[in-house]
Amino acid sequence: MKKEDQVLGAFANAFRTPDLRRKLLFVLLIIVIFRLGSQIPTPGVHVANVQTCFRQLENDGLYGLINLFSGGALLQLTIFALGIMPYITASIILQLLVVVIPRLETLKKEGQAGQTKITQYTRYLTLALAILQATGISALARNRTLLQGCDQPLLHNEDSLMTMLIMVITMTAGTAVIMWLGELITDRGIGNGMSILIFTQVVATFPASLWAVKTSQDSWWIFGTVIVIGLVLVAAVIFIEQAQRRIPVQYARRMVGRRMFGGSSTYIPLKVNQAGIIPVIFASSLLYLPALAAQFDQSGTSPVTNFIATYLVGGSHPLYMAIYFGLIIFFTYFYVSITFNPAEVADNMKKYGGFIPGIRAGKPTEEYLSYVLSRITLPGALYLGLISLVPLIAFALINANQNFPFGGTSILIMVGVALDTVKQIESQLQQRNYEGFLR
Amino acid sequence: MTTVFTVLLILTSLLLILLVLLHKGRGGGLSDMFGGGVSSGLGGSSVAERNLDRITVGAGVIWFACIIALGLLLKSGS
Repeated sequence: MKKEDQVLGAFANAFRTPDLRRKLLFVLLIIVIFRLGSQIPTPGVHVANVQTCFRQLENDGLYGLINLFSGGALLQLTIFALGIMPYITASIILQLLVVVIPRLETLKKEGQAGQTKITQYTRYLTLALAILQATGISALARNRTLLQGCDQPLLHNEDSLMTMLIMVITMTAGTAVIMWLGELITDRGIGNGMSILIFTQVVATFPASLWAVKTSQDSWWIFGTVIVIGLVLVAAVIFIEQAQRRIPVQYARRMVGRRMFGGSSTYIPLKVNQAGIIPVIFASSLLYLPALAAQFDQSGTSPVTNFIATYLVGGSHPLYMAIYFGLIIFFTYFYVSITFNPAEVADNMKKYGGFIPGIRAGKPTEEYLSYVLSRITLPGALYLGLISLVPLIAFALINANQNFPFGGTSILIMVGVALDTVKQIESQLQQRNYEGFLR
Repeated sequence: MTTVFTVLLILTSLLLILLVLLHKGRGGGLSDMFGGGVSSGLGGSSVAERNLDRITVGAGVIWFACIIALGLLLKSGS
């Protein structure tokens, strides 16, 4: 094989493999449908008025956060306005409930059948949440309070209940469609559907908010600095994402019939950031809830709303940062404890005659694994927390607005999802030829 | 004209929600990342599932068309 340009060569290989090409094109198709739906307004919405209002508020902190997750769809009242938020919220709620409710816990332990049932519950809960949120948002739009400080009618016919009903039903159906699209990607495409859809929404707002830095500061210097800092951050994130500790494992040689098995030494890779980007998504979507709830208070004078508006919106307040940081660390440990079960791994190793050099099989192995895991998760959790805070602090200093494009959350989501997806493509590629993206 | 599309939109929306719920939630989404392990079974989808896919796509297209038609009608109406 002739020597090609490394990265482009891998791309060409990816498209030369028929199986992989079909999957990649399928994902692209779904993304196109998803973005298209995020631009089409719900029937009954006065598009021109919404656009004028939207432009006035574009650089406001609160709206920036909301826009990040919906890719600008929510405030423009499109048919996919709710995006994947209901699904994420439903998954979080169900995962927390599994720990609390014994019935769900037994379901989870049942294995695949139980897992399917939990997924089904998540889907029902998603739709329930979607109806709730759609009603809330339509009501806000009707009262003209969705985009505060802009007093133009957002709907064509504000008094009719029919318009409300249509909007709620359309948005709920939109959420159902998004859920289905995500599952299709997981099923027939590459990577995890939901995270790819989140990725799409984050990336979609990216160029606009990057340009907003330039226009609001009106200086190429700051624009350049922002890009350089962003690139450094990306490099740092990739560095830590790839870092792992390899615990050596020896397998005893054994005879099965006339064949010889094992006798090899491998390792268990423990990533520094075992949890990936999930804690960040969870923490920020939890923090986004009070901001959303605060919008329902129309007068904006109650003490609760005031409290939320001062402390929990935008991310420039120290209390917000502290809560964010705490939540990320909590969710990192929570998620790692769910995904990696030392007892199970130790048990499997014992079954197949494997052991860690210097440590006895069974209980001591399990203790050793969980010891290493909890030690290694600490820097991982701190790293996740710090990365999501660094931009907030740095840019409070040079006075850029908070919905800065390289905000920790968006950077972690972008890099994390991209790395995951590329790795999956690569593992598919390696079934055919050994040249991949990463080496 | 608007009424026809409105009724059609409501009907297809409800149908679409129902159809999506009928799908066998293939461990998609975040719950898949949650220690589900290798949850997607082997083999392709069954005939019933494939037909369901087709019907869902059909309903989705009608739903989409209704939204666009309604949008255009409202725009010219105001």
